[in-house]
Amino acid sequence: MSARRVLRWAVPAAFVAIALLLPPLYGLNEMVNPDASTRFGLFLGTEALVLALWATSYNLMLGYAGMVSFAHAAYYGIGAYTVALLFQRYHVPALAGLALTPLVAAAFGLVTGLIALRAVRLYFSLLTLAISQLLYSVAFNAYGLTGGDNGIHGIEVPDALSDYTTMYYFVAAVVAICLVLMFLLTRSPFGAALATIRENRERARSVGINVRAYELAVYTIAAMFAGVAGGLYAVFQQQAFPEMLYWTANAQPVVVALLGGIGSFLGPALGAFVYTYLASQLSTRFSNEFDVLLGAVVLLVVLVVPGGLASVPRLFTTLRSRFRHEADMESVESSGESIERADLARVVRIEAVHADPTPVQRGEPLLVVEGLSRSFGGLRAVQDVNLVVHAGDRHAIIGPNGAGKSTLFNLITGRLKPDAGRVTFAGHDITGRPPHAIAREGIGRAFQITMIFPRLTVLQNLQYAMLAHRGYTRRPFGFADRMFRDEAMDLLEAVGLGQYADLPAGQLSHGDQRAIELAISLALGSRLVLLDEPTAGMSAFETHKAMELVRRVAQEKRLTLLFCEHDMEVVFGSAQTVTVMHLGRVLTEGTPQEVRANPEVQKVYLGELEEEAVV
Amino acid sequence: MNPAQLLLFAIGGLSIAAYLFIVAAGLSLVFGALRVINMAHGSLYMIAAFVTVVVAEKLGAGLGFWTGLLVAVAVTGAVGALIEIFVLRRVYREEHLVQLLGTYALTLVIAGGVRLIFGSNYRTMRPPALFSGSLKMAGYSYSVYSFFMIGAAILIAVGVYLMLYRTALGRNIRAAVSDSDLLSASGIDVARLFTTVFVIGAGLAALGGVIVAPSQAVGLQMDTDILVLAFAISVIGGLGSILGSLVGSVLVGEVISFGLNSQYTNQFALAFVFIIMVGVLTIRPWGLFGAAEQ
Repeated sequence: MSARRVLRWAVPAAFVAIALLLPPLYGLNEMVNPDASTRFGLFLGTEALVLALWATSYNLMLGYAGMVSFAHAAYYGIGAYTVALLFQRYHVPALAGLALTPLVAAAFGLVTGLIALRAVRLYFSLLTLAISQLLYSVAFNAYGLTGGDNGIHGIEVPDALSDYTTMYYFVAAVVAICLVLMFLLTRSPFGAALATIRENRERARSVGINVRAYELAVYTIAAMFAGVAGGLYAVFQQQAFPEMLYWTANAQPVVVALLGGIGSFLGPALGAFVYTYLASQLSTRFSNEFDVLLGAVVLLVVLVVPGGLASVPRLFTTLRSRFRHEADMESVESSGESIERADLARVVRIEAVHADPTPVQRGEPLLVVEGLSRSFGGLRAVQDVNLVVHAGDRHAIIGPNGAGKSTLFNLITGRLKPDAGRVTFAGHDITGRPPHAIAREGIGRAFQITMIFPRLTVLQNLQYAMLAHRGYTRRPFGFADRMFRDEAMDLLEAVGLGQYADLPAGQLSHGDQRAIELAISLALGSRLVLLDEPTAGMSAFETHKAMELVRRVAQEKRLTLLFCEHDMEVVFGSAQTVTVMHLGRVLTEGTPQEVRANPEVQKVYLGELEEEAVV
Repeated sequence: MNPAQLLLFAIGGLSIAAYLFIVAAGLSLVFGALRVINMAHGSLYMIAAFVTVVVAEKLGAGLGFWTGLLVAVAVTGAVGALIEIFVLRRVYREEHLVQLLGTYALTLVIAGGVRLIFGSNYRTMRPPALFSGSLKMAGYSYSVYSFFMIGAAILIAVGVYLMLYRTALGRNIRAAVSDSDLLSASGIDVARLFTTVFVIGAGLAALGGVIVAPSQAVGLQMDTDILVLAFAISVIGGLGSILGSLVGSVLVGEVISFGLNSQYTNQFALAFVFIIMVGVLTIRPWGLFGAAEQ
């Protein structure tokens, strides 16, 4: 642990030291070796600094939010053209132009981002490609404005910067400021929200994060810093040309980010120096093979070392342990026993997070569903469903496969929009509102497939959910990992996960991951929790313990539960009210005893058995 | 614009749409079954075009074209099989991000490799004698080869349709498109099926490259040019839909043809394609014929 802390400071410190000492070192080198050129060395150094900024800004999207954009080079080019055009047309000094680049690039990023983020993931990437080519074709074809394929040359810089050492320090200072700003951003609650989106979009939504808005924000911010990088390039190279915007130009920041490691903040900056050095060596000696080498390196990194150079030490330890046949690296191993260790008294003591905005008395209707319908093509998955869930109830929905239970849940939580009908929660109409808004109203959800943030630590899972739910994630400052730490730790201890706090959540066993989910729901202070087959995949023993925990927590904390479940023992043992659905409609509703005695229900389940027998 | 001119541009558009369709259909087929966007699809197309030109240089335009077709499809198919086995198989379970970056790396490797092997000069070849020359219609002359391209695309479209809807392989591919988990449970060798699909996709890219070779200069930027258009088509028509590729190709081909032939718009013909693409995506983010991903 302490070694890691030393490393945490050593790497940036070494970085700053090397950056500061580069000019004198090159000077020394030139004294002893007349062939070496300080000028060329510092030229490369400046180039590497600009690339470091560009690649780090790319990594804000790639590494922190999981977005692959092919338009990032366009914003870099726009930054360069901002400086160039302002200088050429209006004689604005280059440095004043540079100061305007963040504004211009961010404006372009915001507008084009609004279009690109209409689409999700893959389609988003393809749209950025189109946007990039559109901007390129403007730069390339609009001779009158941009000088067409010649670009713009001869930007003049102040005399002070004509000296290459001063230029190097100037660029280094601007890059350093930008890197510090970006670093603070990634560690802030805003950065935490990005991490949750990268890990699990759906889950991020269900803890109250407006995924699109955050993606747009990070896209715009990344464009802004890319603009600064492009502006610096224009100041330092005194030119701007259309190829800067071409989509293949994105190879550079991508390669550099991958090479350095997209999982670490300084990785891409490190990669920029390695890349610039290698490129200068290889491109002269192997100019023909350079592209092949570049591609091969990327391919190798993607397939073999997904973490990039920064993760090579970890790769090394993994290999070594594999060599020594050490099966697991971690001293603690999760085996799904947390449910046993759960300390109910403590869970209950932890205060509900969130003061009820509109208190609903026990037994009053909390969730009211009226005439809800939704079809897919010709299939009517849910038709005209009416349902009232009372505050404090444990309400189960059962029905054979295809009864429409999951669709109903998706309609209530906003993942699907209904064709007709109304959903009211605590007196508020929530019909058709987006999932994150419904989560904020106080409807939590645990999923059929376990939904956590797998590469965040167990503790971060809770902390970030709390940050999101309480509306802190709009803050671009502060350190997310230090916020709500004690509260999250308390809750973890209470559900028996205390010892796993610093492990990546994805490494825990299935049962323990469910416990994390439950803890997230508690952390969110939801008043109504929807559980989609809460015990699926659990052993009989785990099932028993988990349901007991859920039941008692619900009782003590006055949670209302709405769950669907296949295990009839769980249903009749835990539910107070049971609704039976069949073919998208409500068949009947009542106490477990009434439902069990209902001949129609027996027929439906018998029918399902017969169908299964035929199959 | 008089009717004769209209016809001229329309047929020009169809001949562009012809090779665009062949390439885009391969991209879409691969995406539909494998759920991977192959950024190296354009690179496969470029390999085929270079191979065809080289074979034609050695054997002369007539025999060269047909031999080139066979050699190019074989070479590209083999490269496709290697890519599937050594790269794609490792990334199917990964996020889109890894798949995009992995196949993007392949485009760099292939682009560099093609330059090493074939050099960076533009090359040209003549169409086979059977389809060279031109014919006059309504006052304008049309190259016979553009009709050959349109005919070839129609043949290939019919072939792909028959393959998908009349063969056991096609049935398995369609099953893979709708639910690959179910497919692996049904006892089909999914790994082999995926390799086959990818090789068919690579073969379509190759056919596109072969057919385009006599109609334009073959150079190193071909991979990017076609990839950008094939993406635009897939996005307009909907990824994974062959019908979508067809409609998208015709739309894009015509827009380019009419755009290039008007002096006011010829610089921005490509820009129109992207504006349409953005327009379609704004209204239907999953394309005209695509299925919304849950």
